[in-house]
Amino acid sequence: MWQDFNSYLLEYPSLDAAIYYFINLPLVIQIACVFIVIAFLATLFAYGSILVRRFKGGRRDRRMSVIIPRIDTLLTEHIILNEGLSENIPIDQIQLPLEEFRIPLLRSRFGKQMLIDRIVSYKKSFTGSIGALLRQLYLELELDKVSFKKMKSPKWNRKVQGMIELTDMDMSISDVNILPLTNSKNRELRAEARNAYIKLSKNEPFKFFDIVTEPLLMWDQIELFKTITTTEEISIPNFARWVTYSSNKSIVSFCLKLIVHYNQQDAAPAVMRLLENKDHVLRANAINCLGKLRYEEAEDKLVSIYSNQPLNCQIEILKALGRIDTGGHVLFLRQEFLHSSDFDIRKNAAKSLIKTTGVSQDLIRELIDTGTAENKLILKHCMNPLIKF
Amino acid sequence: MDQFNYAAEQLGFWGNLARFYQSGVFVYGTTLLILYALLALLSFLAIRAYMRKNDFVHYENMLGSPLTPGISVLAPAYNEGLSIIQNVRSLLTLNYPRFEIVLINDGSTDNSLGQMIAEFELVLVDYAYTVKIRSQRIRGVYKSRNPAYSRLLVIDKVNGKSKADATNAGINVASYDYFVCTDVDCILDKDTLLKLIKPVIEEPKKRVIATGATLRAANSCDIEEGVVTRMRPPKSLLPRFQEVEYIRAFILGKMGWSYLNCVPNVSGGLGLFDKEIAIKAGGYDAQSFGEDMELMTRMCRFAYDNHVAYAIRYIPETLCWTEVPSTVKIFMRQRTRWARGLAQLMFAHRGMMFNPRYGKFGWIVMPYNFFFELIAPLVELTGIIYYLVQICRGTINTDYALILLCFVYLYSVMITTISILWDQMVLRSYKTTKEVMLLCLTPFLEFLLYHPINVLFSIRGYYYFLTGKKHSWGNMQRRGFGNKPVAKNVAV
Repeated sequence: MWQDFNSYLLEYPSLDAAIYYFINLPLVIQIACVFIVIAFLATLFAYGSILVRRFKGGRRDRRMSVIIPRIDTLLTEHIILNEGLSENIPIDQIQLPLEEFRIPLLRSRFGKQMLIDRIVSYKKSFTGSIGALLRQLYLELELDKVSFKKMKSPKWNRKVQGMIELTDMDMSISDVNILPLTNSKNRELRAEARNAYIKLSKNEPFKFFDIVTEPLLMWDQIELFKTITTTEEISIPNFARWVTYSSNKSIVSFCLKLIVHYNQQDAAPAVMRLLENKDHVLRANAINCLGKLRYEEAEDKLVSIYSNQPLNCQIEILKALGRIDTGGHVLFLRQEFLHSSDFDIRKNAAKSLIKTTGVSQDLIRELIDTGTAENKLILKHCMNPLIKF
Repeated sequence: MDQFNYAAEQLGFWGNLARFYQSGVFVYGTTLLILYALLALLSFLAIRAYMRKNDFVHYENMLGSPLTPGISVLAPAYNEGLSIIQNVRSLLTLNYPRFEIVLINDGSTDNSLGQMIAEFELVLVDYAYTVKIRSQRIRGVYKSRNPAYSRLLVIDKVNGKSKADATNAGINVASYDYFVCTDVDCILDKDTLLKLIKPVIEEPKKRVIATGATLRAANSCDIEEGVVTRMRPPKSLLPRFQEVEYIRAFILGKMGWSYLNCVPNVSGGLGLFDKEIAIKAGGYDAQSFGEDMELMTRMCRFAYDNHVAYAIRYIPETLCWTEVPSTVKIFMRQRTRWARGLAQLMFAHRGMMFNPRYGKFGWIVMPYNFFFELIAPLVELTGIIYYLVQICRGTINTDYALILLCFVYLYSVMITTISILWDQMVLRSYKTTKEVMLLCLTPFLEFLLYHPINVLFSIRGYYYFLTGKKHSWGNMQRRGFGNKPVAKNVAV
């Protein structure tokens, strides 16, 4: 039978009273009591964690505010303003005052990491001899060993961190170590390995395109595009090779973008063959690529396949005709503009008509004068230089 | 069985009903507490994964890339004349390579449009667009003659009496495949677009149809030139309660649901959407009082109906600050409207509940919304009434009642404190520890002061839903971000 807590206190000392009281409570209330303790402790723990986090964060900020200016001063004095550079002494013969960098402040793990981060950051900003001297410093301080050690870590995030440092410092990593990682199941690791491979492999930087099984996500493509287009001394292959042979659609799609960027006209025939591909997204990408390459030989083919294409491909064909701009298919564009029932088709046909240099102002005026109110509006829209799309 | 029948006979009808109610509430309460614990765990996993990944993200790669997808930022405005210029300038400074600002002047009766025409050198243009979603008539489209404002497109339309209608008009003229929906008076982080698009372009198998991020109260923050320079917890109690509620809802709730791909809603204050799916789903419902959640539900429904493997993602970073109601009157109208929107939504989409065709949405999102969002205020109110009746009848065991009350109280404090901890894991948002501790103390009062009024306002919303009472667009006395009081008509 239930008794209140006071009645237990009359019989037992307080601790025993509490225990007996608890034991005799219904199960639900016992559970509630346990959870009261848990909730109380968890709340205290949360407060503690918040305080510790803030304390650690604040301490880190304070340490950084001391270390970073010191590193910056050292790098400015001994690297950027290095007298050897102005005297054109070869980089490997410049004596760096390593002891200056081996001060106690930079000996701790935190200090070393800060030093690596700053050197990497400076290396990104400086090319040429300063960049080379920064690399020399990184090597002579044996910071590359710290980065290589990270690459051997079982933790993916440490591996990625090491790889980024080595890549940014132009350190060579053997293909054997990187190539397997380009197909890693971990997305971040995979992406970074691909970046590193392109940047560091001097012979065949695009070899991993042959073995990639996972799709290249749009994010990966953006990163790779940046790496490929900004890495110096990279030998750019003819991307038609992968357009023709790769079974990975994302690789083909990415290569089409690279073909456009590098204006690889000799890849156009391979791109033309993609017009027979069953995947309409890939076909649309190929049409877009041909348009941007201004590949005149594609015009007739594009017009001939137009009627069998889905909407996205049809719109790309209309855009491509405007870009290629031979004026050979003005009648086709006019017909699509006047007779299509789809708004986007009419708008893109109008845009391409206006873009085409061979089209006389008389034709545009005639279309405006004889067109429906909506078609007039479309034409005025496309002719207005303030409107981009 | 005989014993059970005997006991039931002894209790009588009311006794049995009371017993049934008690058992029901017990199961309900226990499930809710377990769910919150689960969400705390899942949100921790989601945040940890996000933080680890984010260590190596180079957003700057997107800035110069021709491959970066374009985004249209839709900002509806109604009578925002006092701050419109500053707000548009702030939006134009977003850090992203391909975007346009579509400002929708929703039939303002003040001089908003005139100010914009003068300030941004706007001219009326012949703009061709096709109506894919119904909205009130567009009176004119303006573009700037000044190349510095080439990203700006201003639509002047007939007032549609809702943000939904204005946004639909914006979707019709939006040029890019993705659109971000925000309020013109929201303050966005400079990198908002970069961070919102990332989950879309890094998703390997699913189509990300929407992305959301954390919203915060801007009430006491330091703001300069449309940029939050220092985050502070609101000084007044009501906005501070809302700050804590936002942290719990976004950091703990939505991040937890995001881990399971069961996000029920992307906030109307800030969200990125897949334009094609949004259009095919029919766009915003101008009649809905919870148009953001309603659109999300319809987009999910469309995805299931058309076998689109979709995902909705949330990111734990605060990317948007908005001024939250600072008076009870305004707050009441806002919450009444939200509750009414929820009731509308649950009624309109009731067929999705426990419907195997709608997968997780039918089995998790809809039941959760129904049991733990929609009927929670009713359970709480009936619980309190029941409790009071029992006290009057003298049938309450005071010790047990106090223990249970203490348990629920401490549990709610714990959950909110954990969400503040998770938030601090993402970023040490506030400058001083004192400010964080002030926020940590808020849950102690939230349970006693804030939660009960929320319950009452929700029930008011349900009452309006049932009776079909006309809801007027309220006039919110905003304090403004430049310390000047600014009166604005906003949906509250």
